[in-house]
Amino acid sequence: MKKVLLSGLGAGFILFLMSYFGLMIGIRYFPELFVEYNNPLFNSDGSRDLLFFMHPFIMSFALSWFWARFKKLFRGAIFLRGLEFGFVYAIVALLPVMWITFSSLDITFLMISSWFLYGFFQSVIAGLLFAKINP
Amino acid sequence: MKLLKLLIILVGGVLVAFNTKAPASKWVIYKACSLKVNGSTNVNKFDCVINSYYKPDTLCFIQNSQQEPVRMTGAMKLDINSFDCHNPMMTADLRKTLKAKQFPKLIIKFISLSKYPQLKGQQITGLVQIELAGVSKKFQVDYQLIPSGANALQLKGLKEIKFSDFNIEPPRKIGGMIKTNDELDIEFNLHIKIINDI
Repeated sequence: MKKVLLSGLGAGFILFLMSYFGLMIGIRYFPELFVEYNNPLFNSDGSRDLLFFMHPFIMSFALSWFWARFKKLFRGAIFLRGLEFGFVYAIVALLPVMWITFSSLDITFLMISSWFLYGFFQSVIAGLLFAKINP
Repeated sequence: MKLLKLLIILVGGVLVAFNTKAPASKWVIYKACSLKVNGSTNVNKFDCVINSYYKPDTLCFIQNSQQEPVRMTGAMKLDINSFDCHNPMMTADLRKTLKAKQFPKLIIKFISLSKYPQLKGQQITGLVQIELAGVSKKFQVDYQLIPSGANALQLKGLKEIKFSDFNIEPPRKIGGMIKTNDELDIEFNLHIKIINDI
């Protein structure tokens, strides 16, 4: 349990840094990709900023538990284990959620694709870390 | 007796002074007017317009003396829901930001002009009161007067306002990574025609 929490915390911290600076760089160099966020669907009063920046930790703790439970199924080199872990997460969790989100909310395909890729990338990074620190 | 005469003269003088009507002229809004709002976020610029505001209305200009500003009556009452930002999401977002459900009207009330408008190109200033999201504020506005046909003028008003002037928090998205700037440039165009001059 301690290992699950510690690796979750470590992955959460790294994913937080990556998402924060990734978003900053993305907005700076590809602002046109973010224009669609000027949409009333997205919270705009700042009341949920903290919750937003907590998302890497929530995701990391969940993935850390999932890794501890099923890590024996992911075999091979660290890179392969991380990649497969990310792929499983993307197919099992991300795809259905993105599907229902796209079908029900007024958002663009580009936006939902970027969320899917963002989640996939995050889970691969988390998988690589877990494979390294909690093999 | 002298005192009575003096009193009559004084009272008479006061009455005459109060009865004197300041010269006034009437202008009518004779065709569709518009309002444009330009703003920006850290990812894009936007402009939102109300293009076809047409409410036949009379504007009165009252001038007491050449030294004083010309008093003005009349107003534009615009529906926030008529704003079009050329992108349905941006339009919906602006309406939400301006609290359109609670306060559906944007009112620009004309108060005064620095000079009486002439039927020629001219730049003057004036005072307006803008009511938005339940807050009223007075602003000094720069006007451009552009002649547009016989006895007609286009009155173009320009002013930079802020969301915060009206206690509106500029919208911020995804944890504040996308921020709308507080400043907004507003431009309104009135097409007016003279009915009777001073």
